[in-house]
Amino acid sequence: MRIHVYERLWLVASMILIVAFIATVTYGTVGLGITMVDDREETLSPGDIDEDERFEDPRIEQVGENEFEAYVVAMTFLFQPDPIEVPANSEVTFYVTSRDVIHSFTVVGTNTNTMVIPGEVSVMTVEFDEPGEYGIICNEYCGVGHHDMEAELIVVEEDEFDLTELSVDAPDTVEPDAEIELTATVSNGLIDDLEATVTVEIGDETFQEDVTVGGDESEDVSITVDADDLGEGDHDWTVTVDDYEETGTVSVASDTDENDDGSENGEDTTDENDASSTVEDRLS
Amino acid sequence: MAKSQVTRKITHDEFDPVGTLALIVLYFIVLMLMWVFTYFVEFVGNDPTPFVVA
Amino acid sequence: MTQLFVERFPDQARLVRLAFFNSFAAFGIGALFGLIQALHRTDVLRIVESPTYYTVLTAHGVFLVITFTIFFLVGLYQWAVTTSLERRPVDMRITKAWYWLMSIGTVIAGITILAGFLDDPPEVLGSQLSADVLFTFYAPLQGNPLFYVGLVLFVVGTWLAGVDWFRTWWAWKGDNPGARIPLPTFMVLTTMIMWYISSIGVAVAILAFILPWSLGLIDSLNPTLTRTLFWYFGHPVVYFWLLPAYLLWYIVLPKLSGGRLFSDPLARVVFILFILLSTPVGIHHQYLDPGIAEGFKYIVMTNTMFLLLPSLLTAFTVVASMEHGARQRGGEGYFGWLDALPWRNPAFTGMALAGLVFAFGGFTGIVNAGMNINYLVHNSAWVPGHIHTQVGTAVALTFMAGSYWLIPQLTGNRLVWRQAALVQVLLWFIGIVFMTNSMYRAGLVGVPRRTAEPQYAFEYDVGVGSMTELDFQLALGGFLLFISAMLFLAIIFMTWRNSESEPIVDGTIPPALSGPEDSPRVLDNLRLWIAIALVLVAIAYVIPLASIVTRGGLFGPDIGPFPVFTDPMILLEYGSKLIGMVVI
Repeated sequence: MRIHVYERLWLVASMILIVAFIATVTYGTVGLGITMVDDREETLSPGDIDEDERFEDPRIEQVGENEFEAYVVAMTFLFQPDPIEVPANSEVTFYVTSRDVIHSFTVVGTNTNTMVIPGEVSVMTVEFDEPGEYGIICNEYCGVGHHDMEAELIVVEEDEFDLTELSVDAPDTVEPDAEIELTATVSNGLIDDLEATVTVEIGDETFQEDVTVGGDESEDVSITVDADDLGEGDHDWTVTVDDYEETGTVSVASDTDENDDGSENGEDTTDENDASSTVEDRLS
Repeated sequence: MAKSQVTRKITHDEFDPVGTLALIVLYFIVLMLMWVFTYFVEFVGNDPTPFVVA
Repeated sequence: MTQLFVERFPDQARLVRLAFFNSFAAFGIGALFGLIQALHRTDVLRIVESPTYYTVLTAHGVFLVITFTIFFLVGLYQWAVTTSLERRPVDMRITKAWYWLMSIGTVIAGITILAGFLDDPPEVLGSQLSADVLFTFYAPLQGNPLFYVGLVLFVVGTWLAGVDWFRTWWAWKGDNPGARIPLPTFMVLTTMIMWYISSIGVAVAILAFILPWSLGLIDSLNPTLTRTLFWYFGHPVVYFWLLPAYLLWYIVLPKLSGGRLFSDPLARVVFILFILLSTPVGIHHQYLDPGIAEGFKYIVMTNTMFLLLPSLLTAFTVVASMEHGARQRGGEGYFGWLDALPWRNPAFTGMALAGLVFAFGGFTGIVNAGMNINYLVHNSAWVPGHIHTQVGTAVALTFMAGSYWLIPQLTGNRLVWRQAALVQVLLWFIGIVFMTNSMYRAGLVGVPRRTAEPQYAFEYDVGVGSMTELDFQLALGGFLLFISAMLFLAIIFMTWRNSESEPIVDGTIPPALSGPEDSPRVLDNLRLWIAIALVLVAIAYVIPLASIVTRGGLFGPDIGPFPVFTDPMILLEYGSKLIGMVVI
């Protein structure tokens, strides 16, 4: 075959270019350790998402020193959880699946970007060094509201980050001669111990108790007040732990009045007042 | 074709495509520079990037 | 001056004109939709509701990358086979059949898409007549069954066209034993081989899974499987758009430059490389897909990088052919010869500018091929930037420029408004530079593609410039492209009407400087290349497909349909139900 000498030269140069491009990408994989989203997770039918222990409650979990896992569900046209909050200086593994059509999970302005295909679970581990706020969007057309599919990723200062949850168990109504027992449950999703002060205000009284909640554990703090001390009527209570706050009302009334007062609690059919707050409540 | 203006005939053996060589060398250099910039500045500098979990 | 094509083959010229008519009609509609999108995305002017944007986007994609490009291809290839073999089809009924099959398919698919503009589309075949599923129609998004039926008819039409051209060649071969395949026909046949190998993927995806599923015959499918089958076809299809442009660059551009093709053998090598490498690369569109192992992605990355080779070789051969023309026209020096090229000829200038844009767009293609760097650009505005430089300019501008040369030969009429034609190709070039500059840069800061409103609660971190400036460039570029497109259509229309004239065009193609006799005959052994191509396809796809089916099942892990209606209320209700579910 007759090929001009310059063209032979260009053929060689082209091969050098191609090999150089392949070498760069290989260096990215081997040298810089950049991995591709792959098939490491088993398939998961969208119908089974609510039974899957990772995705039934989309959330962030701490799995090691500075290591977190985020279980995210994408669907038309939102992400859960939203916002996603992680600490700075951490390594976060995102597990993302879709409830309906193909979406993406894309942290805008970064390389954190994956397709989310129903039936599959995308896994990516990334490092967040600095605090900051990012937008998360779906960049694969998913239907008429595609452009509204957006969430927020907040990287907070390491020492401001917690996975604390507070829930309070208190009665709605008590007899005037009974005791009001209020139990605050503080759970700690982090691995390290949580040192916190539980403050309970009810009527004019204030109680404080320091608690230490172990990693991935929860502690109950109970206080007891004589209903007589508060007197008949409605009494607001507030429980605070760090930034979390729960409030409620207890009515002290004799049996005969119960029906009238009970209606104040609206839909509550039980006479327990369960309240809990999580990251979402605090931020909204 | 208003003016084809061919002033001389050049056969394969007389033709030395130095102009093409010059352009293509330029192209080679531009490709290399743009690749290095896009890969190492735009991409690698755009943290966070998914990586291997040891 | 030889006889015009229309005088030698009046019936063939008529068929080519019909194909071009379909192509250009689609081009006009697609261009209008493009303008609507450019103005909508940038919030300059929103004449449709944002949910309807996706109807516009689907139509823009299908009309331009399916109808405009492929109808131009069949017209051009009919011309190429007829002139280079100097003979008519064996059976003109087959020729008419493929033209009408493709046309009917287009009309059916087009109606289902455009019905998306209706407030209350009628029920057809058990679902609303609408197909806002974009040109990629990723399941479980679901369009009306007729949309898929239209696509199937269209593709079957192209298959039949290939059969037609092969038969013409076989007949010619019988009369010319031992002769080398003329280069234009060689290009047609190799393109069609690539097309047969690759379009099987989309045929299986539609016929085995998506169509029965849209008709309710099966309940579930595997989205990863249909997506992979789509991209098995989805990358080669870009070469189906590109290779007719290559044909014009190799066959017509040297002649327009006043020279001869530099090397016929290398042109053949290039087209063979496309048969071999176009298909086993599709997974590079799925670098960020879960469900596909990294190893497969890496193999495909290397294949894709080697696919650069035919394009890099083309760059040399085509530029050298132009240089040959320039030197024959008296050009001198290392760069001075560029000045001797016929820049006042719109057909030449259009193709040359298209080639220049292609050279830059090639770089962005390398980035897309670069596996891990895909995290940066995947589904960002960078990708339509790439598409608009490559298909939207390298291909489309070459087609327009080629039309200025071809239409007079197909109609027997003189090209009108030559100066305006020159302005038209320049306007296209300027428009595309503005628009894609905006898209590439916006993509690098994370602005997504395929969205009606890329304005979110957060701010993009634009390093250099600002979003306002990027939006302005996008809108301006889109506007210039639209004006250019309309000018093109006006020139073609007026030329077609300009029957009281004699064309000044010389349809003869000079022989290559280095002819087919300089290459081994094995290059013309199409069976061999088909066999090797199939082996490469098997290597790249058998294990990934087996793995996808093993993991998710042939019909998927219970994935229900998700019809896309234009009526946003239906989906908003669906969405609010889900939100409600979540909140409770």
